[in-house]
Amino acid sequence: MKSVGARLPRYDGLGHVVGQTMFVDDYRVPDGNLWARALRSPSHSARIVRLDTRKAAELPGVHAIVTHRDVPKNVYGHLEALGVPADEPLLAEDEVRYKGQPIAVVAADSEAAAQAAVEAMELELEEREPLFDIRKSFDPDAPQIHHWGNWYPYFGGPDEGPDRRKVRKGDIDKAFADADTIVQGVYRPGAIEHCPTETQVSLVVPEASGRLVIHSCTQAMYFSMGVVAAHLDLPLNKLKFVGGTVGGGFGGKVDSAAETLSALLALKTEQAVKWRWTRDEEFLASSTRAPWHIEIADAVTSDGWILGRKTLTLHDSGAYARFSPYGLTKHAFHHSGAYTIPNIHFDGYVVFSNRVPTTAMRGFGVTSVSFAVETHMTRIATVLGIDPYELRLKNANRLGDTTPNGVRLPDPSTVATIQAVAGAAGVELAPEYAAMTSEPRSGPLLPPHLEAQQQNGSSPNG
Amino acid sequence: MAKHRGRGISTIEYPTGMNQNGDPSQAWIKVKPDGRVDVFAGTVDIGQGSKTVHTQIVADTIGVPYDWVTMDNSNTDSSPVCTGTFASRGTFIGGNAVRFAADQVKGRILEIAAKELEAAADDLEIDNGLVSVSGAPERNISVSDVAAAATWGHGELLTGTGAALKPYAPVDPETGQVDIVPHSAISYAACVADVDVDDETGEVTVLRLIQAYDVGRAINPTLVEGQIEGGAMMGLGLGLLESSYPYYPDVEHRGSQFGTYLAPGIEDLPEIESVILENPSADGPFGAKAIGEMANNAQPGAIANAVYDAIGVWVTEAPLTPERILRALEQKNAGQHEPRRDGKRVVFDEEISINAVGDRDSALSFQAG
Repeated sequence: MKSVGARLPRYDGLGHVVGQTMFVDDYRVPDGNLWARALRSPSHSARIVRLDTRKAAELPGVHAIVTHRDVPKNVYGHLEALGVPADEPLLAEDEVRYKGQPIAVVAADSEAAAQAAVEAMELELEEREPLFDIRKSFDPDAPQIHHWGNWYPYFGGPDEGPDRRKVRKGDIDKAFADADTIVQGVYRPGAIEHCPTETQVSLVVPEASGRLVIHSCTQAMYFSMGVVAAHLDLPLNKLKFVGGTVGGGFGGKVDSAAETLSALLALKTEQAVKWRWTRDEEFLASSTRAPWHIEIADAVTSDGWILGRKTLTLHDSGAYARFSPYGLTKHAFHHSGAYTIPNIHFDGYVVFSNRVPTTAMRGFGVTSVSFAVETHMTRIATVLGIDPYELRLKNANRLGDTTPNGVRLPDPSTVATIQAVAGAAGVELAPEYAAMTSEPRSGPLLPPHLEAQQQNGSSPNG
Repeated sequence: MAKHRGRGISTIEYPTGMNQNGDPSQAWIKVKPDGRVDVFAGTVDIGQGSKTVHTQIVADTIGVPYDWVTMDNSNTDSSPVCTGTFASRGTFIGGNAVRFAADQVKGRILEIAAKELEAAADDLEIDNGLVSVSGAPERNISVSDVAAAATWGHGELLTGTGAALKPYAPVDPETGQVDIVPHSAISYAACVADVDVDDETGEVTVLRLIQAYDVGRAINPTLVEGQIEGGAMMGLGLGLLESSYPYYPDVEHRGSQFGTYLAPGIEDLPEIESVILENPSADGPFGAKAIGEMANNAQPGAIANAVYDAIGVWVTEAPLTPERILRALEQKNAGQHEPRRDGKRVVFDEEISINAVGDRDSALSFQAG
């Protein structure tokens, strides 16, 4: 019997539904464990004038308190290997840039004792004017909220290059000059929460050998292990990640939230440490999907060809860069949607604000532009008086078409998917659209404005 | 005061694997003395069913029953590198890693079987746990017996390793162009949304979502449908309900509990009709592309278009809350919802553009040709 293509039940489904699956918080250590809690910034933007943890450290049941001074490498970037420099401290140093930012963590005998210690920490802040509207970040008098400036400057690498993601293809000026109509709109898909059933949680158990066993809810064990190893300056043989089963991720468990500080507390106390975030922390201090601001102008002909697209995107990164430069680049590469657009001018900025750093979430970088492009496409159809299915089929990606970054498509299905939903929805397409395929362009589907593009582009397999 | 019916369409594409590549997944496999197969890979199952899919890929690549295969993704001591479960990479890249490892295991099984059957390994095939000579099926040996022979007779371990990695694709910072294809396969989808809009309350009800996804090859159609249906609900939340910052960019009024944050519930579930298309990729396992992330990308646009179809207003800030719908209707009734027409330009949404918000000396503006 072939199993590929078969409707086999979930491998782990029965364990899940009978409650046998072990998630991080289900693990128990024979000798018990300490519990961690964090002191978090109550302010959106402030200078830290004074932090005094001495009274907290003397409370009963408190075993250790760590601040940025205790972290071997406090500032480490998740994407340093990809040329995105580090900007975010694991624990705040002399300033806080978002409400909820961790400043110190404590390990104690119980969550209540740990919380009491947090409340006994003395924190003095000097408030600064925060910045939340990324459309105002470029104003001359905007508060300067990040040491790199108000937007990410390193799209050519850590030392140089443009301060935005640029995509240039074809001749945009000619497309706009040749257009019969230019349709312009602004799209602002908002931030949402990942809403995992399992909040961020970590259990770190030190072994007699000195190794740390890290029970983690990460979506990426090796990635998270690399993050812990970098912050704590440890080789990988000192760490063992245990995981592989996650109670809801959706992109929110790629950033390593709890592992590193739990590990640091375990090293310091030589005891097992568990840190489980409260629901409030999960909602307010863990990252969100990013809000985006997308402005599109399309140069179109009266009969529905898209000659060119000009786009400005602002990606609200929150207080630090995290994965945002990556997400914006992916956004840029896919901002023509499922259509062929031969002339492209795209500028995208990763803009900082004093909100919780935003991060990956299902569809990272592309969800936003799918909403923008698809709403814009139907707007164009409405302005031109063309059927929205036909406008899409006409401009649909076909074999031999290229993406905004010049990649030739080997197996597009835009045409087939539109025809499939039209069929299922009882939408009757005109005969030439009902008969359309993804075969390479020719005849009326290869107008002059698409000829040059068909000659250029990478081969599909690099 | 009435309810208005509307329909909208949206069409999307989505890439497989990390943008610009450079994201390895690795696996290794060993065979027990009775032919049962142990797979070790670091791919985290975040509920999408990657353990199931990888098990299916290994079973068919070797040619053994599905229930002979055990997946262990539990820790970094026994499992090799997986960059992670994100970027819709589990089935394609993680799946290729286990497929490559299974191919090696199959080769090792055939080597030992060739000795046992006194045949050339190239002449052998494996199906449903049985190795036989092509064209002479009576000359056969079970994979269980091959594994036993390897263990107790030949003193060999049946094992295999696999590593899937596409090379990092640098991007020209001035043009965004690439020389190396910066992704694995691209998947495609279309979505039709039928909605009712109440012009008194501003509430939008999604009645029906009709969706077609090209996933290359559905390794497990039930799990693909799970992604499509679950993704549809997330897309509905994105389009209509959910907001970390209800008055964005303001940071006040954040919900901090499920009771104060409006995630979709089962009462929001519309009728969902799913069509799976299989236009295979050249290099995914069994032609697979991806389905994971894209499953929540098509609905918000389709819903916004359906709302326009129903009541003639464009709401381009998501989610399309009752408040935003009613404000747009108010604008429309005051004759202020039409785009500005200037020569051949048709300009929507001017009041929320960066050109209208903030200082006129801003270092950035949008100049649309």
